[in-house]
Amino acid sequence: MNTILRVLSEEELSQIHKESVRILEEVGVRVPSEKALSLLEKEGAEVLWDEKIVKFPQALIEKTLKQSPKSFTLGARCEDHNVLLPGLSSSINLDGMGTRVIDFNTGERRGSLLSDIENAARVFERMKAGTVLWPPLVAHDVPQGAAGFLGAATCYINSGKHIQDEVKKVSEVYYVKETVKAILGGEEKLKERMLYSATYCTVAPLSHDLEMLEATMALTKMNSPILMYPMPASGSTGPAGLFNNVAVANAEVLSCVAIFQTVTPNTPLIYGAAVGSIDRSTGRFLEGAPETALQLTCMNQMGKYYGFPTIVAGCLTDAADMGFQAALEKLMNTLPLVLTGCDVVQGAGFLESSMTMTLEQILMDGEILELSNRFAKGVTNFKDEDMFEEIKKVGPGGHFLKQKSTRELFRSDEYYTPNLMNRDTYDTWVKLGSPTMISNARETVSKILSEGIVCPLPAQTEKVIRDIMEEAKAKL
Amino acid sequence: MSLLFEAMKESVLLGEEEEAKKLALEALAEGLNVEEVMEKGFLKGIRQAGDLYEEGEYFLPELVCSADAMKEALAILDSALKERKVEKGTEKKVMMVTVNGDVHDIGKTIVGAMLTANGMNLIDLGADIPNEEVVEAVLREKPDVLGLSALLTSTMEEQGKIIKMLEERNLRDKVKVIVGGAPVTESWAKTIGADGYADSAVTAVNLVRDLFN
Repeated sequence: MNTILRVLSEEELSQIHKESVRILEEVGVRVPSEKALSLLEKEGAEVLWDEKIVKFPQALIEKTLKQSPKSFTLGARCEDHNVLLPGLSSSINLDGMGTRVIDFNTGERRGSLLSDIENAARVFERMKAGTVLWPPLVAHDVPQGAAGFLGAATCYINSGKHIQDEVKKVSEVYYVKETVKAILGGEEKLKERMLYSATYCTVAPLSHDLEMLEATMALTKMNSPILMYPMPASGSTGPAGLFNNVAVANAEVLSCVAIFQTVTPNTPLIYGAAVGSIDRSTGRFLEGAPETALQLTCMNQMGKYYGFPTIVAGCLTDAADMGFQAALEKLMNTLPLVLTGCDVVQGAGFLESSMTMTLEQILMDGEILELSNRFAKGVTNFKDEDMFEEIKKVGPGGHFLKQKSTRELFRSDEYYTPNLMNRDTYDTWVKLGSPTMISNARETVSKILSEGIVCPLPAQTEKVIRDIMEEAKAKL
Repeated sequence: MSLLFEAMKESVLLGEEEEAKKLALEALAEGLNVEEVMEKGFLKGIRQAGDLYEEGEYFLPELVCSADAMKEALAILDSALKERKVEKGTEKKVMMVTVNGDVHDIGKTIVGAMLTANGMNLIDLGADIPNEEVVEAVLREKPDVLGLSALLTSTMEEQGKIIKMLEERNLRDKVKVIVGGAPVTESWAKTIGADGYADSAVTAVNLVRDLFN
């Protein structure tokens, strides 16, 4: 019996849907791409050409919602890591677009480098809970126009898992396509294998970015799944009412559905969100606040209401260091997502509102996800008749250590085995050198980095990708 | 023959009490060399179970089952072993008891299993045993180590009382006394004049080993 959570009732879910449709019909969304505007107009949308505002009729929204595939497989370079969506349990992704790291060796806080992405990919590769890999950082040691693509290419070289990134301009798409073709040995299986998916962020409130939109539209032509990722912050780029901010975020997602299904029918779409709130004094975007956790959970419920696979921001914190606040906030916004059936929780590895990454945090966040999955799995009425016989056999005052079911269940996933936590008594813990989750994570990271890549690319393919990277550095 | 020894080892390793008992009886009936039966059969099984536990491969239930299968075999072979003066892993004896007024048996049982799995000769007196009976048993069995378990703050007092009684009977220097249980601490152990304290079953094994030496 799975553990179920709901923040929104069925009635409230449908209320948000109605509210979002009303926003789309009466307020509209700014879509700066003429190409998209023409196509939407042909499909019956009202286009205000001067302002580039589209008012989406309900019929178009309903039609494109129906048209979206609801189940598909995100391909991984190593097929064992293919990700079927929706999944049977939740998994985790790193966050993307961070700019700082805490250096693993020196502890120094510094700008992120391409080698940090390489290390993160290698740590993520060995993390059981990790499925979809978003290059977590923007490298500062490469030409900035190429930084996005170079991060993705670095992930392909260092990890066999599915790569998700984002394209900010049309010219990047060529390099993505060439890389995937190099891995697959040609174009034949490009559309079927779906080795690359893209996060697509709308601009809150109710707007799209021209370059990113057209680049992502181009990606749909290679059948790349698109993660629709609105980020309105309640009280600043969205209304202060949490319910209403969710309705705005949902309207932005629905506008994405209408656009991408109109541009390329049957495009695989993933419902996502990184909605948040702000610090009421400083205006800082808050990821660890309970209001953020609530809105993210609502958004996940909305995604499931429509039947989409979901990848929602979670495992987030505003804390500056790897301590109690980080653990508290991360658990608070991960568990509800898992309990509402989120397919991938996106945000592992980061501190300071997804700006600063540490390798240790990646592994610790994996533990948070696994704990949440265990909780979500719930309690099973395990062979209740046999259990009764055992209870009878042991009787009052005995113990169950020797019962067959104890031995069986202790070996099953009924009991969670932590990766990094310490459960020893004080004396034993002291004898072990007083390890903490952080020191345990450090030890595992060191071990991973000293080992080779789990699923290396054939040397020739790696060379082709490195050549593509050089070209991107020169041209992007 | 080696197949039979292998079966003995397996019976203990897999915690099959009935099988271990049957094989021990078979060994006696066929007049096998009990030293070999122990070394190549049962002891090998219990040592392997201990190793698997150390490696994290075995959990507590497996270890308890192995320890109990070992106990079954030892009970059958006991007189033959005594006659031939064959070691049961060690000559040293550990006596375990949950003190007077305390029915919480499980901690002591776990420590006992762990000691057995480490080849120690265990005498388990049971739970809620009057202090006088404990002292009598010490007099009778002459254990090298006496382990006193208490789960309640109200019963941990008994640990101190037993130590006093041992002193009064001039038995205190003949047996090392160790104490354990959830409310028990290192400083409590010192207060009542115990020889040692362990905070877990695993550390208890090391403690007993240290005291043996």
